[in-house]
Amino acid sequence: MTLSLSAQNVVKRYGGVVALSDGNLEVNSGEVVALIGANGSGKSTMSKVINGVVVLDRGQLLLDGKPVQFNSPHDAKQMGISTVFQELSLVPQMTVADNIWLTREPLGPGGVVNRKMVTAKTEELLALFAGTFKIDLRPDALVSELPPDEKQIVEILKAVSFNPRLLILDEATASLDSRQVQRLFELVAKWKTQDKAIVFVSHRMEEIFRIADRYSVLRNGKTVGAGAMKDITENDLVRLMVDKESVFSFSRAAAQQNQKPVCLEIKDLKTATLRGVEISVREGELVGIGGLQGQGQRDLLLSLFGDISFAGSIQYNGKPVHFRHPRQAMKHGFALVPGDRAREGLLYIRSILENMQLPSWARYGFLLKLGKARQDAANMGNSLNLKMAGLDEPVSSLSGGNAQKVVIGKWLMRQPSLLLLDDPTKGVDVGTKAEFYELLTRLCEEGKTILFYSSDDDELVGLCDRVLVLHDGKIQTELAGAALTKENLVAASLGVEHGGAQ
Amino acid sequence: MKRFNLNALMTRNPALFALILLVLAIVVNYILQPNLFARDTLNSNMRVFLPIILLSVGQAVVILGGGIDISVGGIVSIVNTILATRVGLEGSPEAMWQYVAVSLLAGVLAGAINGFFIAYLRLQPIITTYATSFLYFGFALFILPNPGGGIPAQIASLYRNTSPLGLPLAFYVIAIVLGAWWYIRSTRYGNYLFAVGGKAQAAYETAVPVTLVQFSTYVISGLMAAFSGIAITMLSGSGNAEIGSAMTLNSITAVVIGGTAMSGGVGGVAGPIMGAITLGLIQNIISFAQINTWWETLVKALIIVIALATPGIINLFKITSQRAIGRPE
Repeated sequence: MTLSLSAQNVVKRYGGVVALSDGNLEVNSGEVVALIGANGSGKSTMSKVINGVVVLDRGQLLLDGKPVQFNSPHDAKQMGISTVFQELSLVPQMTVADNIWLTREPLGPGGVVNRKMVTAKTEELLALFAGTFKIDLRPDALVSELPPDEKQIVEILKAVSFNPRLLILDEATASLDSRQVQRLFELVAKWKTQDKAIVFVSHRMEEIFRIADRYSVLRNGKTVGAGAMKDITENDLVRLMVDKESVFSFSRAAAQQNQKPVCLEIKDLKTATLRGVEISVREGELVGIGGLQGQGQRDLLLSLFGDISFAGSIQYNGKPVHFRHPRQAMKHGFALVPGDRAREGLLYIRSILENMQLPSWARYGFLLKLGKARQDAANMGNSLNLKMAGLDEPVSSLSGGNAQKVVIGKWLMRQPSLLLLDDPTKGVDVGTKAEFYELLTRLCEEGKTILFYSSDDDELVGLCDRVLVLHDGKIQTELAGAALTKENLVAASLGVEHGGAQ
Repeated sequence: MKRFNLNALMTRNPALFALILLVLAIVVNYILQPNLFARDTLNSNMRVFLPIILLSVGQAVVILGGGIDISVGGIVSIVNTILATRVGLEGSPEAMWQYVAVSLLAGVLAGAINGFFIAYLRLQPIITTYATSFLYFGFALFILPNPGGGIPAQIASLYRNTSPLGLPLAFYVIAIVLGAWWYIRSTRYGNYLFAVGGKAQAAYETAVPVTLVQFSTYVISGLMAAFSGIAITMLSGSGNAEIGSAMTLNSITAVVIGGTAMSGGVGGVAGPIMGAITLGLIQNIISFAQINTWWETLVKALIIVIALATPGIINLFKITSQRAIGRPE
């Protein structure tokens, strides 16, 4: 069953905000089309128009040459269009099996769901990703108990279980480790030969070049370019997206030997996932934390910030510290940019001003000096090049990259001396990423110390003085200088021993 | 390392807590009233508990689906006043069964009105049903402005004294309700209900008919409220437009002690049934312990608050002990 879908001159407004002004996309059976664009460029809206979650205001959808109208996800599903949602369409309180087969449960006599068959069919699907799970993933596990990568895989399997003609993968690799991405790409290659059409939405340039046959670039709601992947280079693609040259050529922090004193000394740090971590960091250093997802990176940053309990000793500026509450960490000049922006980093429906000043209100007196607070927040916004309609707009009105600037801004307001960053560029567009890289380099030059976890290997290699690779709750390898290459980083992430370590 | 996870345990066995509470209430009640399990005592207890049990089951379905129904008491009152005025003390059994059918239709209609506003016009459940509760109580008062009327004694006695095989009638009703719930839970509709209550947006994106499912929960609740109204009318034998007013909050309380999350998507019907029985037993205990009625409400409220707070308190202790382990030597 082949398919060809073409979206033409799509316009979509949310209230007064134009999400798409002229969106175009064409996809046919047996090919992977990468839908690319900076955050807020309309990628998600475009995929939601195709899968019926939002109804377009103007323009048209042609399916197999005939105009169609999707008023609900149900309409699109009927036509064989299925989606892996960026925000996941899973019900946390239900089991893996129930989630995957929701609406298509095999029924027995009297309309009773045949649970045995549901389980068996789920096991068949789980086998597609067999061997890539840290812990065995079972059909009767509750989705709320799964780690992010397994949730993501369940979401993928759910979309696949519809046996779609067109599969939309919206940031489907964001939570996956490299083995899981590899497996997904093998499956995508197989689906291509089965005449499925695939739309691949991603920020990761390397993945786009690995998997896509064609590309379609959105910028500010408008399709600005489309063509075959083989005819375009990474730099040209980036230029199309941001209209700004060479964003990836960020300068690496000067590689001179840092002779400043050690300011952070961690010994034998243990939590539920960490099994004895030792780290020492010099003042003004930008230390990268690498490794596959979920090897304890999050626990490391959270325990330093006093957010979770831990065992072990931490010395900061020569004094032993053991924070039991983030408040204590903040008093010592620590700041944490958490991994889940929407849930942990921001009060989404509150204003930019409130978010920016949340950790700092105490400095504005008992009766708040609002004018001063506004001024300070506005200055911080300007210095971070924050694009906003006004300080009183809710954070939810911002694109991902700008929302992340608010998270970073609210900590910079406090002049922290140690920054803990948990994958700060996840879901952030390339233009903003480049600004972050500059910012981090500048902060280090100012003498701030940064611990920087990233799921993007290129970032770690390009930006950090040295990278500590976590594997199974321990530091597997430390990479620095000439040994800090992407190949070594990937090898260490997978737990492979190699001679490049210092 | 497999850690004990209270939340996961509660998600998988939502009725566990209700069961513990029920056993506790039975034990205390038994100590105060040694003939608790005697046939007559059992029967007289269960026939009093049944109206709230039925109401809680309907409430549980709505709450599972992510809503709440504050208007159930009003529906009980409408049904009670319809039966008390239309059938009358001298009425025939035929008239009674006829108006039982009318009552059930009235319950479904009232539920459908709630469902229409909430599911199709997307109004807030708590505000909508609060508003319609006045509508329904007002309608009940319109039917029967002053307490009075009634149903034939023989029918009331049928409800009060029937005990096939020596077991109270209520046991059979509960068994039928549990059977029906088990069936619904096993169908696709059951999955839809949990999905909509758990995360409506995810359900919508998966092409679940979210609006229809939400609508249906209020219709079910209306129907169960009608059954509850029929039961309480047969119990009391008379009519009173205010009869349902105290029942709404009890139905919600029963659902909550029954382990059904107010946020929806977790729980079932067995827990709320146990919760409703527990509430009734607490009432018994209070009267047998000869607590001054002045204290009754306070004691009842305290027991409910403690029951509700227990999972949170257990969690709190768990966190504190974890923190202690994490301390350096």
